[in-house]
Amino acid sequence: MTAATATPAALGERELAPPPPPWGASALRWLWLGPLLVSMLLPFVWMAAVSLSASSGGSLSRALSGPLGLDNYRALFGSAHLGRYLFNSAFVASLVVLLNVATAASVGYVLARQRVPGEKFWSFGIVATLMLPKQVLMIPLYLVMARLRLLDTYSALVLPFAVDAFSIFMVRQYVLGLPHELEEAARVDGASDWMIFTRIVVPLMSPVLAVVAIQSFLANWNSFLFPLIFIDSDRLRTLPVGLALLSQSEHSVDWGFLMAGSTVASLPVIAVFVAFQRHILSGLLAGAEK
Amino acid sequence: MRAYSRATSWTLFAPWVLAFAMFGLFPFAFSLWASFTDYSPIRAGGARFVGLDNYVRALHEPAFWSSLQTTGTFVIGTIPFTTLLALALALAVQPAFRGRSMFRVGFFLPSVVSVVVLSLVFKGLYAPNGSLNALLRLAGLPTPSWLLDPRTALPAIMAMDVWSASGYYMVIFLAGLEAIPRELYDAARLEGATWRDCLIHITLPLLRPTLLFVIVVNTVRSLQIFAEVFVMTRGGPLHSTSTVVYYLYEQAFYRFDLGYASAVGYLLFVLTLLLALAQMKLVGGRTAGAGA
Repeated sequence: MTAATATPAALGERELAPPPPPWGASALRWLWLGPLLVSMLLPFVWMAAVSLSASSGGSLSRALSGPLGLDNYRALFGSAHLGRYLFNSAFVASLVVLLNVATAASVGYVLARQRVPGEKFWSFGIVATLMLPKQVLMIPLYLVMARLRLLDTYSALVLPFAVDAFSIFMVRQYVLGLPHELEEAARVDGASDWMIFTRIVVPLMSPVLAVVAIQSFLANWNSFLFPLIFIDSDRLRTLPVGLALLSQSEHSVDWGFLMAGSTVASLPVIAVFVAFQRHILSGLLAGAEK
Repeated sequence: MRAYSRATSWTLFAPWVLAFAMFGLFPFAFSLWASFTDYSPIRAGGARFVGLDNYVRALHEPAFWSSLQTTGTFVIGTIPFTTLLALALALAVQPAFRGRSMFRVGFFLPSVVSVVVLSLVFKGLYAPNGSLNALLRLAGLPTPSWLLDPRTALPAIMAMDVWSASGYYMVIFLAGLEAIPRELYDAARLEGATWRDCLIHITLPLLRPTLLFVIVVNTVRSLQIFAEVFVMTRGGPLHSTSTVVYYLYEQAFYRFDLGYASAVGYLLFVLTLLLALAQMKLVGGRTAGAGA
């Protein structure tokens, strides 16, 4: 929900990078940024250490002084509930990402090429939607899902998030920077509408669709409020909701187990982020340069 | 060019029309209706029309006002710190140096991890016998009970928010910094300007739109704070951390008073909309205008 947009230029060829600066000047910067980075990452160190310790009781020093092992992870994957939460999170996130990419591609493209009347009206609706946080629709969406009898189903976790204004907006901005010529040439060669879209347009859009996929995965994997209010049954809970409720059960909190769960919930997003950080950060950076 | 037939275009466009109607306009209208009734799914019988009662009740409800105040404190108490920290981080990692992207990634990391996970971690760190207090004890400082004390619970959640949100706004500031033409700095350097002169006379004035954008976006986001409160304190102790959205959640899903919750939701919506409109005005030139 920012002005971030990916443009063909930004996601395409990178400019020739200037030679890296000398080590000496960099070392100076490390001297004061290093401790800052370490202190900002300490909570994650705590999470990992506690998750690896059998008897830390949530204390970093006790975790680091005792033996470390994977017992908590074994317990985690042995627990029927947690396994189910993990599956649900993965299943729902995959579906949402897939639908998001598909709908953003088609809607964003049509919007950018102004193929439907009322382009101004639709664009306004999309921009207004992406500016407003979804939480303001918490009660309205709940009422509608209740009406549609979709509460406590996978559909409730997927359908309202299958079409996303921000994703559409990103695709639209990207397509505005694409030339028309290829589509025109294909049309002259007698390609059908469907062929032009799937064979020409979609491949051209693939860089921005990758960004859409990454962003929607990150957002959906971490989603909490709607899975919390839409789902009642334990067997449909996603990982964040399962962990939050587990931490509030009557029994005393098992920090090792809880942090193992938190680590498992964090690893996929951290992996995706580190692997695609250039896409994510440069996508964000490119936007504001307009 | 007129390549596509009407039918294909509408087919490709249909998902948005459907989604906008079903999960945008319809819920909106439905809850507007509900806000004028005493609708509750757990009570037998239909909803009765009660006029403006729900709104009047909200405006006379101390718990609602106190949740607004809590949210206000949260916004006012976090945004200056988040903004300054984000700006400082952005300035620190903008120039080229070895390992720059590692720092950018590291500072941004909290923004990609689930708020539930962050909240659980901080709940552990803030425990009376937790690692934070162990550190404070080592330094000979007082050790409050953080989340268990009504005086420190909200500031503790706010501190976590500053920590977790700064990296995200750092990236927005970086985008703003990249947009400032290099030539300005080159010219200033030729005139003998120092780093500080450049910061005050070039960087900060030209960063003003980004600064406003960051503040508005962060305000809109902060009005919706919920997961942190749900995981760490459940609105307590003594309602000291009950934000508007948490209050809304309690009314709707503990008391199933959905008519009243709809009214409170509408009040929150209007508040957010006003801020979002300000946001659209600020960035309208770049977003809506960019495609026209």
